[in-house]
Amino acid sequence: MDVKTVRDVAKFAHLDLTDEEAEIYCRDLGDILSYFELLNEAPGCDERGVNPIKVEDIVREDVPKVEYDADDLLKDMDTYERYVRGPRLS
Amino acid sequence: MMNDTLRDLKAINAKYQMFHAMTGDADAGDASFLFSAKDNLTSKDMETCAGSRILEGYHPVFDAACIEKLRKAGGKLIGKTNMDEFGFGTFSTNSGFEIPRNPYALDRACGGSSGGSACAASVIEDHVSLGVSTGGSICCPASFCGVYGIAPTYGRVSRHGLIDYGNSLDKIGVISQKASDLKKYMEIIAGKDERDPTSMVQPEFRTAYRKPKSVAIPKEGIEGLSKEVESAFKKAVEDLISMGVDVDYVDMPSLKYAMPAYYILATSEASTNLARYVGMRYGHQEGDHSLKFDDYFTSVRSKYFGDEAKRRILLGTYARMAGFGGRHYAKAREVRQVVINDYKSILKDHDAVLAPTMPFTAPRFDDISKMSALDSYKADYLTVPANIAGTPHLSVPCGYDSDGMPIGMQFVADHWNEDILFSIAEDWEKQFDLRRPEVSI
Repeated sequence: MDVKTVRDVAKFAHLDLTDEEAEIYCRDLGDILSYFELLNEAPGCDERGVNPIKVEDIVREDVPKVEYDADDLLKDMDTYERYVRGPRLS
Repeated sequence: MMNDTLRDLKAINAKYQMFHAMTGDADAGDASFLFSAKDNLTSKDMETCAGSRILEGYHPVFDAACIEKLRKAGGKLIGKTNMDEFGFGTFSTNSGFEIPRNPYALDRACGGSSGGSACAASVIEDHVSLGVSTGGSICCPASFCGVYGIAPTYGRVSRHGLIDYGNSLDKIGVISQKASDLKKYMEIIAGKDERDPTSMVQPEFRTAYRKPKSVAIPKEGIEGLSKEVESAFKKAVEDLISMGVDVDYVDMPSLKYAMPAYYILATSEASTNLARYVGMRYGHQEGDHSLKFDDYFTSVRSKYFGDEAKRRILLGTYARMAGFGGRHYAKAREVRQVVINDYKSILKDHDAVLAPTMPFTAPRFDDISKMSALDSYKADYLTVPANIAGTPHLSVPCGYDSDGMPIGMQFVADHWNEDILFSIAEDWEKQFDLRRPEVSI
């Protein structure tokens, strides 16, 4: 792990790090990832579930309904004419 | 009694800091019981922040399914409990807000990440609190605060309304002073809910008493303990034997790989879940809209996520990247299955797998501040195996150290077998001399 890699990862994750933070996370992630090399000696397994139990595709009936009032949902949001305001796209 | 609690709530919280938000009601009205809930469970009448400043000001328009069910059963929600930011911690010290104090010594931690919930359950008479466990966040604080806590089978309780940490790991459970309360309130919150597909595959929730016959102790689960935990656990095992429970020592080598596997899986999932917090829709939204969207999102996230949240986002993002991810993420999923297979193999011949819940008692805040991130992750080595396996696990108080700090032990059962855990805990409670903390306000 090096500071450049930490900064590259932070950019992907939309985080801006100070120089001090980048140094600290570089050291911490280096320690953690070195310890995690322990996984290399762990026994393997052919099964690799995403969840610890088998989750089947059980879907509810596709019936349209209004669960929440739109104005209620928008009440804490920064809005303009009932649209959520956001930053520039370009 | 309930009105007395409500009258004293502000003073209790000033001393222990278990609540981030509290009811202002002085009258319990028609309520038949009072409860609190971890602050990553949405609630209509109280701000919900999950311990994160990025969610400050978020007022959900709906109750989490478990809160909705407790209210329908006559419960009154009295507070949202302090926690590590998004559940990222072992001591409830990684919070953007207040840090709960241990009921047995105010200079010590409550454990994490449901620390405020365990504190409330320990301090307030006849109280039940909802906790959430991803890697041990119910049993760890239950152990540190001298109370009973259960994290049920993955999928047993609907997670509708839970602010996600790791979707393949999160489980909602119950913390209380009384073992019998765990069954009583789990019966209310368990069950299928079409709003959470993982809850739809569960079989019947059994609660009838089953006489516990035998438990297995993994030799790897009693390594690295403090002297006092080791000694209290040894005494507790003797008590179990005198209760008529057979105890066998077994090998479970996969336990040592569970911690790194857990952190790879959990942070990978967390880093994607937290991508939604960008200064729009929830919480803080006061960024400069003249910025380009990438810069806007980055400015808000960098300002309001705490140190540990950033650390786990970085770790999870890195773990999912090509190269490293191909190696470790895939291996972590295999280790999860190996741990599940090992539990199932041992549980063919035993009712439960037993070990101390935590390797030490609640540490002082000063000592926690000197721990590295890796030291803190390593402290979870006894609680993460059951969590990555999705198996139900229950912590009971089993002793006290020379400073009077509580020690807990944790029973793990096979998927969907919460009934045997309730039976063990209720039998244990009958013979264990629980020492309540001295509560003065």
